[in-house]
Amino acid sequence: MSSVLKVENLSFAYARVPVLENVSFEVQSGDYVGIIGPNGGGKTTLLKLVLGLEKGNGKISLFGTELSQFRQWHKVGYLAQKSPVAQTLFPISAQEVVLMGLTDRHGSGVGVRELKQVCEAMMQTNTREYAGTIFHDLSIGQQQRVLLARALVSRPQVLILDEPSTALDASSREMFFKLLSELNQKHGVTILLITHDTGEVGKHISKFMYIDKRLVFFGTKEEFCHSPEVAKQLGAFAQHTIDHLHNRHGHCPLGDSCEECSHAH
Amino acid sequence: MLINFLSYGFVQKGLLAGSLVAAACAVLGVFLVLKRLSLIGDGMSHICLTGVAVALLTSTNPVYMSVPVVMLSSLGIMKLTQKFRVNADAAIGIVSAAGLSVGLLITALAGGFNTDLLSFLFGSILTVSWAEAALCGLLLFVILILLRAFYRDLTSACFDEPFAKTRGVAVQAVHTVLVLITSVAIVLAFKVVGIFLISALLIIPPVAALLVSRTFKQVLWKSVAFSVLSVWLGVFVSFVYDIPSGAAIILMNLFFLACSFVWMKLGNSHDR
Repeated sequence: MSSVLKVENLSFAYARVPVLENVSFEVQSGDYVGIIGPNGGGKTTLLKLVLGLEKGNGKISLFGTELSQFRQWHKVGYLAQKSPVAQTLFPISAQEVVLMGLTDRHGSGVGVRELKQVCEAMMQTNTREYAGTIFHDLSIGQQQRVLLARALVSRPQVLILDEPSTALDASSREMFFKLLSELNQKHGVTILLITHDTGEVGKHISKFMYIDKRLVFFGTKEEFCHSPEVAKQLGAFAQHTIDHLHNRHGHCPLGDSCEECSHAH
Repeated sequence: MLINFLSYGFVQKGLLAGSLVAAACAVLGVFLVLKRLSLIGDGMSHICLTGVAVALLTSTNPVYMSVPVVMLSSLGIMKLTQKFRVNADAAIGIVSAAGLSVGLLITALAGGFNTDLLSFLFGSILTVSWAEAALCGLLLFVILILLRAFYRDLTSACFDEPFAKTRGVAVQAVHTVLVLITSVAIVLAFKVVGIFLISALLIIPPVAALLVSRTFKQVLWKSVAFSVLSVWLGVFVSFVYDIPSGAAIILMNLFFLACSFVWMKLGNSHDR
């Protein structure tokens, strides 16, 4: 497995108020990382730093290249928490929004290959029927699916997602996480996902990262769930997450591999 | 009457220069309005007063004197917003006030207002020279070349700036070039409509076009069409009724904006 993202001693402060302190970790190709932590813990800032949207102290490498030298942005797909706060009068179709996800942007024309990629991404996210609709005429949930298509259109090797499911209804959310799981398992796409929806997402995630200004925990789901040290160190929030993962009213998201459940049975 | 009107050399020059600069402002204005920077035109136009006042004091060409002054001020607005995190509207207000006060101070030191300064304040499209008309043509040419080459970068940066950055779009460079070209357009436009009304050329045609368009390319060409038609109709009306041409041009733009509102209300455009 090769390194997709390497973060070393990363720190960041807004107006001298520290948001992240000395964070170091490495994400390998094929990982599906769920990033959790309290509000204001620095999760979104971490992703912004990784994407070069903010500048912090420390070293970030994407696919072995230092961030300042990194140019292969087609390998990275990004979906933010909220729809772009663009002018509501912006007359741009859903298809044109998806097209913006491509990095080869010279001229104003659109090639057959580009259209094919756009079509594929819209099919994947079930948004083909809105292709010609003005983006701001879509519901928030539909907009979010179109934006997911935009993140997928360049066929990225890593997807960076910041609470993408907040605006989705139950069925769209299920479809959304199923698609992410498929991309991860069938196509080997590495995923970094900020989420509070640990119950649903926990079924698919392979690693957890817990951020609260500093990196409190980074390891496999099993380590997270079954380590008494983790629960002790993380307190109520971690216990809440573990409870979600071991939803007493449903099945364990770890399935047959969960030792705790097999002991209980 | 129309043939008679068009037969005058100064009218031909005025219409040519006016159409070219109106088209340039109409294209730039679309991006400024969508990036919520439309008031930058208002701020920069006030700064023009400093350039004009310095030019009148030193007996140099007001256009050539104003270009560097307005460009530097526009970069100042950008620095205020980016380095010191001052909101764009506040930064525009600060630089605009500075430009106006320095301009008025220089004017007072030079012995007060004269007819030349008043013509810059209120516009005098019919006194445009061939050289200034050629400059307007060059400006529009440069804008169209840049638009063709960086169309997707521009639309992407206007629609969703953070995402555009993750696609490798040099958002900062796009922003700087947009603001600097707008500076030149504003300086060239003050002869057409006057310092007080320049920002209207950057705001009204794009807003009217945004109300009645379903694609981004439609917005661009409709904005240009409204703006150029307003120049022609405005100059003609001012010629016939002997009224200030700058004011007549802006009133024509407002007429097209009113028509766009009516068109939208009648349900001919998409529901918003």
